[in-house]
Amino acid sequence: MTEVARALRDKTAVCGTGLLIGDYPDQTPLSLAVEAYQRALDDAGLKREDVDGIIMLSFGSDYDRFLEAVGTDVRYAYQGWSHGRFVAPMLQHAAMAVATGMAKAVAIVHGRRRKAYGQTADHEMWRQGLGPHGESPAYGALGPVFGAAIAAQRYFHMYGGSNVDLAPIAVAFRKHARLNPLSVRRDPMSIEDYLKSRWIIEPLRLFDCCQNNDGGACLIITSAERARDCRKPPVYISGMQGVHAGRQFHNLTLPGLGVAQQEVYKYKPTKEDLHAYQMAGITNKDVDALITYDAFSPLVLFGLERFGFCGPGEAREFVKDGRIEIGGELPVNTSGGLLSEGHVIGWNLFIEAVRQLRHECGERQVKDVNIVQYGSFLGESVIFRR
Amino acid sequence: MQPSLKLKDDRTGRYLPVIYPEEIPFWEAAKQRELKLQRCNSCGKAWYPIGPACPFCFSTDFAWSPMSGRGTLHNYVIYHKAWTPWFEKRVPYAVVQVQLEEGPRLTTNLLNCPLDAIRIGMPVEASYEDITDEITLVQFRPAKAGN
Repeated sequence: MTEVARALRDKTAVCGTGLLIGDYPDQTPLSLAVEAYQRALDDAGLKREDVDGIIMLSFGSDYDRFLEAVGTDVRYAYQGWSHGRFVAPMLQHAAMAVATGMAKAVAIVHGRRRKAYGQTADHEMWRQGLGPHGESPAYGALGPVFGAAIAAQRYFHMYGGSNVDLAPIAVAFRKHARLNPLSVRRDPMSIEDYLKSRWIIEPLRLFDCCQNNDGGACLIITSAERARDCRKPPVYISGMQGVHAGRQFHNLTLPGLGVAQQEVYKYKPTKEDLHAYQMAGITNKDVDALITYDAFSPLVLFGLERFGFCGPGEAREFVKDGRIEIGGELPVNTSGGLLSEGHVIGWNLFIEAVRQLRHECGERQVKDVNIVQYGSFLGESVIFRR
Repeated sequence: MQPSLKLKDDRTGRYLPVIYPEEIPFWEAAKQRELKLQRCNSCGKAWYPIGPACPFCFSTDFAWSPMSGRGTLHNYVIYHKAWTPWFEKRVPYAVVQVQLEEGPRLTTNLLNCPLDAIRIGMPVEASYEDITDEITLVQFRPAKAGN
């Protein structure tokens, strides 16, 4: 680990969050982003003059339009590609901008409607050399869920098991969502209910997939020192590592599963694969709750194995018997995740990490929680500490 | 053959592949019922997806080369949800990934095979489907015994 990485441990923090999930038929991506920003400023006890950095992902409003709308001039603006895997890098860029003095406080802002002009990702499927989740429209390989379905099939082929093994994930997250007033999906779900849900792409059912909803989100990142003067307790950024990418890292897949051009082998994380723990000075045994990207249920298996919470092929047993539920050995996605709290690209997953560490979660609060990891199947991770 | 940015066949409503300029030799070969991919003149490996350099040794010296058309079924999923009206008449249908003898894996369909007969590891061979007057898809079918 570099000196800089060690020096940056706990030097930046999340000081404010704002989140909207649900149906907002009279709003636009821009107005949802502005509202989330206002909520986050209020949550932090900051004024817009205190924010001098902005990061957005290009799904809703672009950063220039947003800044015109909120009447703010910044000295650090950045915009990325709107996919769930790029939420962690946005947070990391914000922390690095603050740590290097490029900005004092960076707001990461998001707003999205299910249907709106200027934000459609439909044409991505026709990208040269297959879509961002392996899509190939002429062959009927359609939708992001394709990437998760082909990965799940390979996982079951290599390690045994079937769709039934995904049920405990959907059921656990629904239990969590029922303790979360913001959740979009709140109906009780049993294993039987899960098994009755219709196939979307076999081996995945409807309840293996998150739904689509409107949303807005904002997280404000500042220095640890300034965060201590804010309205809520700081949530420190202790460690981080990036999205791993290349031929061995197909989207919605764990390395080694043999999806698309991946090699086939049993993936186990190396020391280099776990940089975030070293930066934070912890191991995965210190993690009190895991937040992982769960647009589709198999991704939870992959997230657990990616960070060594269980060995290759063992996650499908690990997720059983309440182990990933609140009160279990390793609570995962305590908000209900994208599967049941709602789909805000992944911003809401990070906001749940903050809420847990502020001990704001009421009935779904993980007891004595001190360290929450966001860690996903492509390796991107942020370790948060109270 | 010319590049094409058309996403859907106006007549049938079927989704079409975008024909990118550097992929034209692939589509021209498919129309002749031949599977051709780029093969590196430096390391000898074939690759997919189609691209300007060999991903194994990064040489840009390659030749469009005929593949054997033989491979094994490496992965499959079954679509039950129809994304467009054209697919409503086709669900349930399978999308498969075939590993060619030469190494690359293609995302494709398996023709002439009932869904319940699809098995990972089964031998398959290239087959071809004309979907418009200009465009032929490389598809696969179960290998005939002895091939």
